[in-house]
Amino acid sequence: MWYHKPVINKELLQSLPNLKIVASSGVGIDHLDLNLLSSYGVKVSNTPFVVSTDTADLGMALMLASSRRLVEGYEMAVSPDTEYFPADWLGTEVSGATLGIVGMGIIGYKVAERAKSFEMKILYHNRNQRKKEEESAVGAVYCKKIDDLLQQSDFVLLAVNLTPQTHKLIGKRELELMKPTATLINISRGLVVDQDALVEALQNKTINAAALDVTYPEPLPRDHPLLKLKNVIITPHIGSATKKTRRVMMEEMSESIQAGLAGLPIPHEVL
Amino acid sequence: LSKKIQAIYLWWHKPVIDQELLQSLPNLRVIANSGVGMDHLDLKLVASFGVKMANAPRAVSSSTADTGMALLLASARRLVEVYHIAISSSMDYCEADILGVEVAGATLGIIGMGSIGYKIALRAKAFEMNILYHNRTQRKAQEEQAVGATYCKKIDSLLQQADFVMVVVSLTPQTHNLIGERELELMKPTATLINISRGAVVDQEALVTALQTGVIRAAALDVTHPEPLPRDHPLLKLKNVIITPHLGIKTDKATYMITEEAVENILAALNGLPIPNEVLPS
Repeated sequence: MWYHKPVINKELLQSLPNLKIVASSGVGIDHLDLNLLSSYGVKVSNTPFVVSTDTADLGMALMLASSRRLVEGYEMAVSPDTEYFPADWLGTEVSGATLGIVGMGIIGYKVAERAKSFEMKILYHNRNQRKKEEESAVGAVYCKKIDDLLQQSDFVLLAVNLTPQTHKLIGKRELELMKPTATLINISRGLVVDQDALVEALQNKTINAAALDVTYPEPLPRDHPLLKLKNVIITPHIGSATKKTRRVMMEEMSESIQAGLAGLPIPHEVL
Repeated sequence: LSKKIQAIYLWWHKPVIDQELLQSLPNLRVIANSGVGMDHLDLKLVASFGVKMANAPRAVSSSTADTGMALLLASARRLVEVYHIAISSSMDYCEADILGVEVAGATLGIIGMGSIGYKIALRAKAFEMNILYHNRTQRKAQEEQAVGATYCKKIDSLLQQADFVMVVVSLTPQTHNLIGERELELMKPTATLINISRGAVVDQEALVTALQTGVIRAAALDVTHPEPLPRDHPLLKLKNVIITPHLGIKTDKATYMITEEAVENILAALNGLPIPNEVLPS
């Protein structure tokens, strides 16, 4: 299964009586109805760990590109109308700023490791607090209430799974708690953010900017307001899109499929 | 008015400091530069008028290191290209157009390990990169160990091994065209060149050829020669090039800190005190 295709529904499962396993690419399994699959005796696997580093790297890339206005800057640098670079054209500093990580799993933690080297102050919100040693290694401070994180952060990075609890986790209320100078970075799933509320927040300058590797749907309809906002960077879900990682993902998926067909224990089985 | 001027705060190379200007300002005592690079100043000429010079080295290092990392990541993950795909009116693209190269586990070669180069090494280490560096002098062992950096006395050795080559030197007669045809050909065909130093450190024509013929994979340039480039320059059209408008220190925080440093330098000079960041003609 690649990029959520084909759609696994009752109709498809009924038409494939000998289906033994669905191997899904990447770590997210929000697009799969696990109970339905289980009821047909079909096993499920994903590729959970291999995507973490590239996704964390992309989170950092988006934060840096957004804060330093890299895409706008590129367009100025190559535009046929540019005669000089204005001296008062500025971005915002990443080094020393406060990063709030929502979802401190493997990916969130890797982001924290990277952000620490930029001398960033790191806050995090998670279902559970991490161990003291893990927190001190990256200098991260736990925010039991997401509001505390939202109010203090210059950059808010979403790295949660999509579950019924995280659906529209960031809505109008959360955006209004954020600083007007803050940037929202989403490397989780489009549905974690109330997109309409986000559009309004960006248009009204409730927050400063957004950088989104994920949207709902993907891709967005071509007339969607998010595609036109100057203070938004959108990338086409490239979290794990490097040659090496894709290759490893394919290898892992093949391994899982082979194990599933042979009736052996499945590596990276999702239960 | 010209007799009243005792200090100049130089912002983005303006005004141009030439013989005519210096002669017209008899009471000028100090020129404080914004930023660290002094290549746009004729240090000997200025000194011959008894005018002191200072730069602002501390304030620039973090912002410029951040710019270097931003460009490295943007180039590796093809950020500008995929952004255009994401917003384009057509929804068709193929996987090959969006696949980038890995940063973790890759080798970064830093040419010029001053304060900016070192901050880049600190950041790159967190991205699990292997770090090589080339510098006029080797850094102390503890400094090397702190970032896991290996010294390459010969630049060739760095060029041959690096997946990303980051140029962070000052522009001097020795570093002019430091990266030319020979150096580009020593680089891996899968390598990326990132320049956050000065445009003239790279032989631009050689770079264009190298990018067009696949001698190297890509380039990300925050600096060019001149800035901006003429609008018909080939670098502006190459798909595998990201050019940014000298973002180096263009943040609110950095410009504030640079101005603070410059003011410190100016006040010291006008009060006859030692100047914190004096630059002498060597």
